[in-house]
Amino acid sequence: MTRVKRGNVARKRRKKILKLAKGYRGSHSKLFRTANQQVMKALRNAYRDRRKRKRDFRRLWITRINAAARSHGLSYSQLTGKLKKANVGLNRKMLAQLAMIDPPAFAKVVEIANQVE
Amino acid sequence: MSKTPLPTKDTLEQKWYVIDAEQQRLGRLATEIAMILRGKNKPTYTPHMDTGDFVIVVNAEKVVVTGRKGQQKLYRRHSGRPGGMKTETFDQLQARIPERIIEKAVKGMLPKNALGRKLFTKLKVYKGSEHPHQAQQPEPLTINTIPAGDK
Repeated sequence: MTRVKRGNVARKRRKKILKLAKGYRGSHSKLFRTANQQVMKALRNAYRDRRKRKRDFRRLWITRINAAARSHGLSYSQLTGKLKKANVGLNRKMLAQLAMIDPPAFAKVVEIANQVE
Repeated sequence: MSKTPLPTKDTLEQKWYVIDAEQQRLGRLATEIAMILRGKNKPTYTPHMDTGDFVIVVNAEKVVVTGRKGQQKLYRRHSGRPGGMKTETFDQLQARIPERIIEKAVKGMLPKNALGRKLFTKLKVYKGSEHPHQAQQPEPLTINTIPAGDK
């Protein structure tokens, strides 16, 4: 068996990690051991938060729709209940966008929702 | 896929409201005020931005609490030295510094961070029916916190 020296591989591995840790504060971007820990942690957080982002945005849309609906005298849950019965297929993102950028269109949606009994 | 819109600083208009606290229930009034300060009553609400309006509260000394909370609700503060805790009841504090009651109630309902502290500066509380913010042309806003059937 030929002898394999580790130096080359080890340097490549460490450089790869330190590259990912660029911009981290203090020794977190300079020392391999702490940088490695921080990179592992950062990748975990990023993975988790890519999933969480979907929920966070849905929460924000609901808050905005609720605010807009209440200015028309309906609560969020009343509005979504009525929209469902009226077969309006707008999702929460679209409704929130209407409420913010195009209030007359949102008023129209509320009007349609109010027509169902 | 279109992005969720983010309001820019210059498109946000911040209004001023005057609220009369006379005979209003403290907690219910404070929730409404905190809501307006944060901007959660507007479709432009954005969690990391100050999208709310300014609130001026007048007649702060006439705010009420129900039941026996006047004698029982305690306001505590501590000087930091041993034995330095001072307590006073709602009635005592109302007689001494009526503004502090509403400020404390609203502050507790705002986020506990730098943004929350910034939002808190938009609340102006005054005893009596006068306030020095006529230049901002505040709109009167009626908040009814008295349940129907009550006096």
